[in-house]
Amino acid sequence: MIRFLKLYEKFGIFIFIFAGAVFLAFASPNFLKLDTILNIIAQGSYAAVVGYGMTMAVTSGGFDLSVESVMALTSVFLSILIPVIGIPLAIIVSLMVATSAGVVNGLIISKLKVNPLITTLGMSTIVKGIALLVAGGKMIVILQKQFMSIGTGKLLGIPNPIYVMVIFFAIFYLVVYRSSFGRHVAAVGSNESAVKISGVNVDAVKIGVYALVALTAGLASVVRTSQALIGMPSMAAGFVLVVLTVTILGGTSLTGGRANLWGTLLAALFVSMIYYGLNLLNLQIFYQMLAVGTVLMLALFIEGLRLRYLKAAKAKGIKV
Amino acid sequence: MVWAANRWENFGLPFLVAILLLVFSLLSSPFRSSYSLVSNLSFSSLVGIGSIGMVFCIMSGDFDISIGSMSALAGVLGASMVTRIGSPAAMLLTIALASLFGFVNGVFVTKLRIPAFITTLGMQFVYRALAYIYTTNTPVYIEDKLWLSIGSGSVLGIPFPILLMALCFAAALYVLRKTPFGRYVIAVGTNKNAAMLSGINVDFVKMAVFTLVGFFVGIATVVTASYLGSVNPGQTGQGYEFRVITIVVLGGTALTGGNGNLLGAFFAALFITYMETGLGMLQVNSYWQYVATGFVLIFAVGINRVKSAVLGQRDT
Repeated sequence: MIRFLKLYEKFGIFIFIFAGAVFLAFASPNFLKLDTILNIIAQGSYAAVVGYGMTMAVTSGGFDLSVESVMALTSVFLSILIPVIGIPLAIIVSLMVATSAGVVNGLIISKLKVNPLITTLGMSTIVKGIALLVAGGKMIVILQKQFMSIGTGKLLGIPNPIYVMVIFFAIFYLVVYRSSFGRHVAAVGSNESAVKISGVNVDAVKIGVYALVALTAGLASVVRTSQALIGMPSMAAGFVLVVLTVTILGGTSLTGGRANLWGTLLAALFVSMIYYGLNLLNLQIFYQMLAVGTVLMLALFIEGLRLRYLKAAKAKGIKV
Repeated sequence: MVWAANRWENFGLPFLVAILLLVFSLLSSPFRSSYSLVSNLSFSSLVGIGSIGMVFCIMSGDFDISIGSMSALAGVLGASMVTRIGSPAAMLLTIALASLFGFVNGVFVTKLRIPAFITTLGMQFVYRALAYIYTTNTPVYIEDKLWLSIGSGSVLGIPFPILLMALCFAAALYVLRKTPFGRYVIAVGTNKNAAMLSGINVDFVKMAVFTLVGFFVGIATVVTASYLGSVNPGQTGQGYEFRVITIVVLGGTALTGGNGNLLGAFFAALFITYMETGLGMLQVNSYWQYVATGFVLIFAVGINRVKSAVLGQRDT
């Protein structure tokens, strides 16, 4: 069983994707076309990008429920700033606004020692309120059509969101696995007090993590806002579930300390495949919620099994 | 300092509620009418009753953030049955279904051994989606007189929701203080392993606690549905978990478990309800209310931490 679970941790998500692909290939004649596949990958890019940030947060032993509010806030700022200061500057400023929301999360969690659930739940409401206030409760149409090219354009036949997904995967891969910051994040997740004693600035690590989560949410929001050309104060309702599902399904352990960035990326693509399949069946959007919720419960079930067997193995003295 | 912290534990919230009432009464004349004060007290039962189960849940060391969706699903299922089984049975069905959903949460939490907030986050979306699918996203209207009278009726001049809330709090206080179950909940929340070693069936206690959460949410759903005359699969219970958790934490229940405060939750429910309607009557932009409640939640945790630090208890 332990061997199976270890294998699952590494390759489980491939099985999901493979099974999904086989099913879709039979269900739809259009599935095996390049355009369809690129489209599915592009649709999965949002969950993947925010998933990178969430993977870091879960690795550090926390998590962030405020991502969808941060996305909404970024979207609103983009739509207001673009006519005033131009597209590039507006993107930079909006991303800074998003990141600062994350810094506030981090400050409350690390300095005030409020637990991440309460902090990000509270911040989620505050940030959403601010987004609605700034936008006056309305959607704001962006008139600058060139902005649209970010989310809908293609380079060498590949949609831009895929580039965003791949580039940030590379960056986060380096941060998580190759930088001292990444190692500190994992260390904080597995044993915070030990890390503190060994001289790492735990508070700074946590603030950095939540800033990064908010930054990824901001990035996803830039791409989405550009596709819709509308600043949406109520953007992405329920998106946090997708992001957490992707992170946990990808094999990042809820107990902290172990990131699985590849898993996050692939799980995002898997969820996107589910959406595509549900669209094929012409099911309403509510079934997407149901499907993602069910997948999350399934991923939790497997995670629960894993933890239980790991504990049993440790009790018996088997090396894992 | 210790004196202040002790006084805060007992009198802090009633004091805050009094100040809030005073300030809003001075600022807004509609607010200080006795009609508005009493009707807001009845409104506070919506969150007040719902927070009772959550006090037990947080005391036992867990969270349930699926209660909003649970309320919507139990509500649409119950309300749609009124014409078929009559309203008393439909109301009981709503409460029974909510308890069942709570029980399901409890089974997942105890058997999977996954932190409850994430299990219930998943269930939050499952319940909400089922509510949408069952109704194909149309509200279920309640035309039954008996059900509608729950919110508007009164006994001896006291509105029925207030009586119901008082009854629920009294029963919960009794269970918490006078029954073995109440002590088991405290024991599980304080130290799970110690509770297990001393022969308490921890899984059973947790499942019972989650069922209780559902039970009280079910009662609150019946009252809410009666006020609104309908249950909406999308709107009912939206943000409910957030408000209820805010109330429980503001009421002084420690997030680490083991330390619950039911009366505090009652006063916190008053505080939140009066704050929301007060801001509404002053015609403050309703979006400020999001910001305000968010701050109240984080402030409440901060206050609890300061209090525990002074009194030397463990917290968060």
